[in-house]
Amino acid sequence: MWNIIASHLPSWEVLFQALIVVAVPYLLSRMMSKTQYADHPPSKEESMEVTSQRDFTGKLNHDLEQVKNEFGQQADINIRSFCLGHSTQQAALLFVNGISDRELIDQHILKSLMCDLAYGDNHQAENVTYPITKQYLKDHVLAVGVIKEVDRVADVKTELLRGHAALMLDNSTSKVIILGTRKEITRSAGEPSSEILVRGPRMGFNESICDNTTLLRQHGEKADLTIVQIRVGERVEKELAIAYIKDVADEDLVQEVRNRIENITLDDIQDTGYIEQLIEDNFLSPFPQIQSTERLDRVVSALMEGRVAILLDGTPFVLTVPTTFNMLLQSPEDYYERWIPGTLVRILRYFAAFVSTFGPSLYISFISFHQGLIPTKLALSIADTRSGVPFPSLIEVLIMEVALEILREAGLRLPKPIGQTIGIVGGLVIGEAAVQAGIVSPLMVIVVAVTAISSFAIPQYNAGIALRILRFIAMFFAAIFGLYGVVLFFLLLCSHMAKLNSFGVPYISPAVPYRLQDWKDFIVRAPLKLMKRRPKMMKTNNPIRKE
Amino acid sequence: MKFNNQESLTTQQTVMIITNFILGIGILTLPRAAAEKVKTPDIWLSIIIGGLIAMLAGVVIVKLSQQFPKKTFYEYSQDILGKWLGCLLNLIVVGYFVAMSSVMLRAMAEVNILFLLEGTPRWAMIIAFMWVGFYLVIGGLSAITRLFQLIFPITVIIFFMIAGMSLKVFDINHLRPVLGLGLGPVLKGVQSTALSFGGFEIMLFLVAFMRDPKKANKAVLFGIGIPVIIYVTTALMVIGALSVDGVISLTWPTITLIKSIEFPGIFFERYESLLLVIWMMEIFTTFVITHYTAAMGFAQSFKKELRPFLYFLMPVIYIVALLPVDINELFALSNGVGNAGLVLFVFLPIVLLGIAKLRGGRT
Repeated sequence: MWNIIASHLPSWEVLFQALIVVAVPYLLSRMMSKTQYADHPPSKEESMEVTSQRDFTGKLNHDLEQVKNEFGQQADINIRSFCLGHSTQQAALLFVNGISDRELIDQHILKSLMCDLAYGDNHQAENVTYPITKQYLKDHVLAVGVIKEVDRVADVKTELLRGHAALMLDNSTSKVIILGTRKEITRSAGEPSSEILVRGPRMGFNESICDNTTLLRQHGEKADLTIVQIRVGERVEKELAIAYIKDVADEDLVQEVRNRIENITLDDIQDTGYIEQLIEDNFLSPFPQIQSTERLDRVVSALMEGRVAILLDGTPFVLTVPTTFNMLLQSPEDYYERWIPGTLVRILRYFAAFVSTFGPSLYISFISFHQGLIPTKLALSIADTRSGVPFPSLIEVLIMEVALEILREAGLRLPKPIGQTIGIVGGLVIGEAAVQAGIVSPLMVIVVAVTAISSFAIPQYNAGIALRILRFIAMFFAAIFGLYGVVLFFLLLCSHMAKLNSFGVPYISPAVPYRLQDWKDFIVRAPLKLMKRRPKMMKTNNPIRKE
Repeated sequence: MKFNNQESLTTQQTVMIITNFILGIGILTLPRAAAEKVKTPDIWLSIIIGGLIAMLAGVVIVKLSQQFPKKTFYEYSQDILGKWLGCLLNLIVVGYFVAMSSVMLRAMAEVNILFLLEGTPRWAMIIAFMWVGFYLVIGGLSAITRLFQLIFPITVIIFFMIAGMSLKVFDINHLRPVLGLGLGPVLKGVQSTALSFGGFEIMLFLVAFMRDPKKANKAVLFGIGIPVIIYVTTALMVIGALSVDGVISLTWPTITLIKSIEFPGIFFERYESLLLVIWMMEIFTTFVITHYTAAMGFAQSFKKELRPFLYFLMPVIYIVALLPVDINELFALSNGVGNAGLVLFVFLPIVLLGIAKLRGGRT
């Protein structure tokens, strides 16, 4: 009896391994305990409002001095002093060279202040009382669409730097009139080169938030489109807009988006990419959890599904949240073409995603571990071609994969004609030469090529990158454990995706949880006649798309 | 928007958990285990009867759990039996889940060494598997449920594909005569087939998390029904291809069967790798849920956080998994666990339900 128990007592080795079992994940999780999106404390108190203090006195010389002091030695501030109409009342128009619309200032503002005012004097002298008040100017003279009044030097400065002009009057109230003369350098809304479709609208966003919201408005005029403006950036303030459709989008979702954006405290936000990284749920995940797109139609259809769009001034990329993995494999074209090709193309994309992630790892596991599982003839011919290869399959795959990634990275930044040359040189010459030299086997080149092509078939560039990263991890799993390693990696990947949320929506929806309603727009793109409801996973207020 | 982790389970999610829990080693060993006892081709009948018994037990468990809304077994056992006895029972149940989870791990390692990775040390395989499982488990029940739902369709599709392939070597004569020796042998096999349905006991805990606990009965029936179909299919195809005598002599008859199917011309020549892949996924689900449930037992008995116990159980499960010296001891342990489960979750719930009714009637 005692002997039986003794023979079963775990050895020191086992105990040590047991220790490792618990220690490694414990340490890892300690290190990563801060990865989850922590709900920040409610945004800090608004910076103290200085309301009572007035910087301006209504005396022109004093006020100008104030502004000059504020600007210091900067040369590009332009101060144009003049007299209103025929009177001797002094006035000054301030603007920053270059970013203000000179034509508007010269033709409309200065002209109306100097000439038209004088002309009006003769006819309606009884209406004009000197000194001329700001109210009179605003009511009768200034033919400018956007006007506001500010009374602090700092505000004047920001407005001037944004391209607006400031008008100051002598002998007047302590406020300064700001005239909307901002000049925007934009380009036309062409088709974005990163997301090209064969069929569908050729409209893309550009760098101006004004144009972008206009585009959205034009396409959603009847749809109760709500656009909320927020200013982000501590040092360089930028316009940011949250767009959603009021009676469709979930209010909690909108609020959550707002909260997360308001919690951003970065001094300069260059691109929506910054916002994406600052508001995503899990920054350790390889997957993009927020979709970014330049295409107008993509954003509009996202809004119609009850999602929320985030636009930033200065970038054509618009974010849409929540995002699921499925969305990254969809293309707007799926809906423009008839449903049968749409469905087939989608199935193809899922297959491509699988191949681009698991292709090389399956190759490694079959070549290095389970030769018995491939047909004998094939195994023999593989062995034949591999006989001269001096490396284990992992090294072989790594050589080709890394070379290919470098090639891709190099081709990305080159002008188009050279990029193609690089492709030919790299792909054909190096591949062929590597086989000839006996570094890699021909089958390997095929596997790598198919994998690469598959990863191009994924419509969203950043989703493709995610799968490329995962491919390398999968290769190492396969090199250690063979097919078992691939299965483990698949389970790990599934576990990760099962845990991942994007703004409260499971990342793997609509696959899971099962909602037959949402599966009409999953791997199969059902005929439009059947797609009567908005996706349930978005918890929309208004589930019916059409009767 | 609620950004909390714990969502309540829908009925169909509950079904998924039960099904994935039950499907485990059974796919590979059930035909042999049953054939050893029954010795006639009527194994599939034993499986159906075993499934019916499991359903009955499942319904009893649901009835019991419904007496205590929003409480798991670990919580209401103390209500029924008093603090100390309840605690003791909880520990036994935790022990059951730990042992079950260890058996899964070890079986996985053994099959892998036999069929896929000959030279690889056991500890490496088991540790890697446990880490992946742990990564999922710390995501909580909702992550576990989502993974189960994700894996289940893959499993079912591949399984029936393989089953379809085995039609090539299927011989209906191996299944005849039906009830040639009467019902006696069939009933003898029921005990070992019933063991394969271990897993429905998860309802002791799931009812508390269900959005609609009234539908728990439906969930348990479907949750056991799906494995019954899969097990019966397995038994039919294995016996149909290898005959009863052939099956008894094999350790892993299902794999042997798949190995014997050849479809030249398609990319693979042999398909046991596919079967092993889905089987490992099913083992993974069973391992994960047992690990989670065991840790939950500690956490709820002592009213503490869950996470420390998840850590604590990892080395325990690992050591228990390496206790059996060889595969026969593993099967012995597996049988022991199954029998313990039979007592714990078939007979005990009836007793507990009786006590609860009596007490409930009194107050």
